[in-house]
Amino acid sequence: MTVLSVKQLSIAGPQNGVVHQISFDIQQGEWFALVGQSGSGKSMTASAIGQLLPPNMKATGEIWCGGRNLLSLPPGEMREIRGKRVSYIFQDYQGSFTPFHTIGQHFEEVQRTHLTLSKAERRQQANSALISVGLQEEMYDRYPAQLSGGQLQRASIAIALLLRPDLLIADEPTTALDSMSSFRVLELLAKLQQDTGCAILFITHDLRHVRKYADRIAVMKDGHIIETDAAQQVLHQPQQSFTRLLIHSSFSFGNLNPLPSAGE
Amino acid sequence: MEIMHAVNAALHRTRLKAAALLFMLSLALVAVLYTLLVLNHDPNLVSLTERLLPMSLGHPLGTDHLGRDVLTRLLLGAQQTVGYGLLALLIAVVVGVPIGIWAGIKGGLIDRIMMRIADSFLSFPDTIVAIVLSGLLGAGIENLLLAIVVVKWVSYARLARSTVISEREKDYILMARINGLRTGRIMRKHLLPHVIGHVVVLASLDLGKIILLISSLSYIGLGAQPPAPEWGAMLNDARPYFQSNPTLMIYPGLMIVLVVLVSNLLGDYCRDKFDVTKEVQS
Repeated sequence: MTVLSVKQLSIAGPQNGVVHQISFDIQQGEWFALVGQSGSGKSMTASAIGQLLPPNMKATGEIWCGGRNLLSLPPGEMREIRGKRVSYIFQDYQGSFTPFHTIGQHFEEVQRTHLTLSKAERRQQANSALISVGLQEEMYDRYPAQLSGGQLQRASIAIALLLRPDLLIADEPTTALDSMSSFRVLELLAKLQQDTGCAILFITHDLRHVRKYADRIAVMKDGHIIETDAAQQVLHQPQQSFTRLLIHSSFSFGNLNPLPSAGE
Repeated sequence: MEIMHAVNAALHRTRLKAAALLFMLSLALVAVLYTLLVLNHDPNLVSLTERLLPMSLGHPLGTDHLGRDVLTRLLLGAQQTVGYGLLALLIAVVVGVPIGIWAGIKGGLIDRIMMRIADSFLSFPDTIVAIVLSGLLGAGIENLLLAIVVVKWVSYARLARSTVISEREKDYILMARINGLRTGRIMRKHLLPHVIGHVVVLASLDLGKIILLISSLSYIGLGAQPPAPEWGAMLNDARPYFQSNPTLMIYPGLMIVLVVLVSNLLGDYCRDKFDVTKEVQS
C-alpha cells in the first residue's frame, strides 16, 4: 500500500526554482532514503509534504496521502494530518524542544492536541514511549538542556512516533550526533519501524547512514531526482556518474582515499 | 589583576545598588503600613483656620494653603501617581506585546503595516504626543492614561516582535506546528515566555519615566485635577507659596525623585537579573 505519493512536485522561491518536477512513492513500512548534497532540495521537499514551507516558497504538483492531496488541504485539516499521520524529526535536536518546557510537557502538548485521554493515561503512554526509545522515566520531568544530544534525539523520536503516524520524515537526524549516538539512533529507528510499521522518509547527505537500513534510495541533484531504485541496486550498480561520485566520496574504511576515483 | 579588580568593583557596585534598593523598598513598606494603619486625615478636608501650619504632632509635615494635611496627601498621592503609572504600564504591555508577537509570527504585509504604524508613533517625542492627546481629549487622569498608553505600547510591540523574529525560525516552533498546534497557542505557550523576561526589564525601566510623565502633565494641569492629591498637581498648587512655604513644593518633588530613583534601581536590578545578552557581552 502506498503511504505517500509525490507527483510532479516543483518548489519555487521568488526568483528561482528549488525543486523541479520530482515524483516518488513511499510504500507502507518502507525505509525510503532521499540522498543528495546540501542545497539539492531534500529538506524543501520534506517541508512541502507538511505544508511547512517558508511563506515565500510555493509548491506545485500533487502530494497524495490517505486519499487527499496535501498541497491543496486547508490549514485546519492539515493540522489533523501533521503529528498524527505524518510526523518529523530534525537534525537540530536541541532546537526541536522549547527550552523552558520539560520533556513531559512536550508529550502532554501532542497528546492533548490530538487525543482525549485522562491525565494518568497520558502519563502512562508517555512513560512507555520513553522506555521504548531506551530512556528512563525520570526524563519526563527534565528540561531539554539537561539531556545529552543522543538522549534528546531519542526523546524527539518518542514524541514523533507517539501517535503512530503512517510516515516519519527524518530530516538528517544523525548529522549532528557523534558516530556512536547516531548508530544507536539508526538502530532504534529500524527497531521502531519494525514495531510500528511506519514508513520512514530518511533524508541525508551521507550514504553511510542509509547503506544498512534503506530499502530504496532516491538520489537528488540540483532539485531533480536523478536516480531511484532499490538500495542495493543504487549502491552497487549506480547508473549515474553523480551517484558514483556520491558513493565514492562517502568515507569508508574499505576505501581510505576516495579522491582519485572521485574525478572519473 | 586588573580584571579581578574590575570584577570586584562591579560586584561592589551591584551590592551597593541592591542595598539601596532594599532600603528604599523597606521605606516604601513603612509608608504603606503607615497609610493603612495610622493615617486618619481626610486628604481633601479644607480647613481655612489651619492653613500653612508648620510641622506639629497633629500634622507631621504641616498643612497646605487650604489647611489640608500634607503627609496625608503625599501618602495618598503615592496611590494616585504610582498606581496610575503602573496601570498605564500594564495596559501598554497588554496592548503592545500581543500585537508585537502577532506581527512577528505572521511576518509579511501584516508585519510591515504594523511596524510602519509603530514607527510613525515613535517619530514624535513621548511628552509632545501625550500633551497633544490629553489636550485634544480634555484634561483628566483617564485621558492622560490613554495618552500614555498610546505613546508607550509601541516600544513593547517592537520588543516583542524582535524577540519573536529571532525565535520563530527555530525548529521548536516548527515542531509545535508539526504537532498540530494553532497559532494562538504557539504564541501563548512557546513565544510569550521568551518575550516576558525582556518586557519585565523594559517595563521596570519605563515605570520611572511614566511616573515623571504623569506628574509633569498633572503639573501643567493636563492630568489629575484638583483636589486629587497627585504629586504633580500638588507641586502646581504650591507654586504661589514657594517663597513663604517652600516645603510645600519640596515634599512632593522629593517624593517624585525618590520613586523615580527606586524604579530605576529596580529596572537596573531586573536587567542584571534577566538580561542574558548583557551577561554574554561582558
